[in-house]
Amino acid sequence: MDKWQYLLLLGGCLLITLPLDFVGEGVYRQPGRLLRALAPVVAVFLVWDAIAIAAKVWHYNPRYVSGINVPFMPLEELLFFVVIPICGLLTYNAVNAGLARMATKRERVADRSRR
Amino acid sequence: MIGLGYTLPAVVSVIVVCVLELAVLRTGLFRTPAYWISMGIVLFFQVLTDGWLTKLSAPIVIYNSEHTSGIRFPWDIPVEDFLFGWALVTGVLLLWERQRVKR
Repeated sequence: MDKWQYLLLLGGCLLITLPLDFVGEGVYRQPGRLLRALAPVVAVFLVWDAIAIAAKVWHYNPRYVSGINVPFMPLEELLFFVVIPICGLLTYNAVNAGLARMATKRERVADRSRR
Repeated sequence: MIGLGYTLPAVVSVIVVCVLELAVLRTGLFRTPAYWISMGIVLFFQVLTDGWLTKLSAPIVIYNSEHTSGIRFPWDIPVEDFLFGWALVTGVLLLWERQRVKR
């Protein structure tokens, strides 16, 4: 079970943030925009990560990774660079939706008091 | 403890993201309350997840102490991780926002 720790952690992050896509304009609901935002940044960080691994700046505990490897790194590390920014985008999406809702409510209250 | 392998690129990544926004993209993201509230929430969850990944008692990611500042806070999280994470998430948010400006 231990070797799934890193993958489970990433899965948990996706699961917890999934409902945030249902508010506001959504993130997964704009796949093209999501891809265009992710791809360049992920590419840069993957290069950084591959260099850091090759230069032995950090490494992964074989006990807690699946053992599935993509070029230069464990599968988990590749997924990390996709999952974490998506969680950030979903958070930002939900905060925007929340602030917009608060603003409309305030407007309605102001309208009513004016009448 | 020279920090060249992680500390330096982590600092550089933050500078690059700032320059990208201020000189190139100019989305105005840094002036929106939604961004800073989001970063506060992201930071909270980063401490939980990163804390789990880097805990010295059973680490998933192991850092070469030669390449970090050696400052680990809170718990055993190398402080460089916060710069790295900020640059990663903010970089993607900027490209996300830029597509709003364009439309």
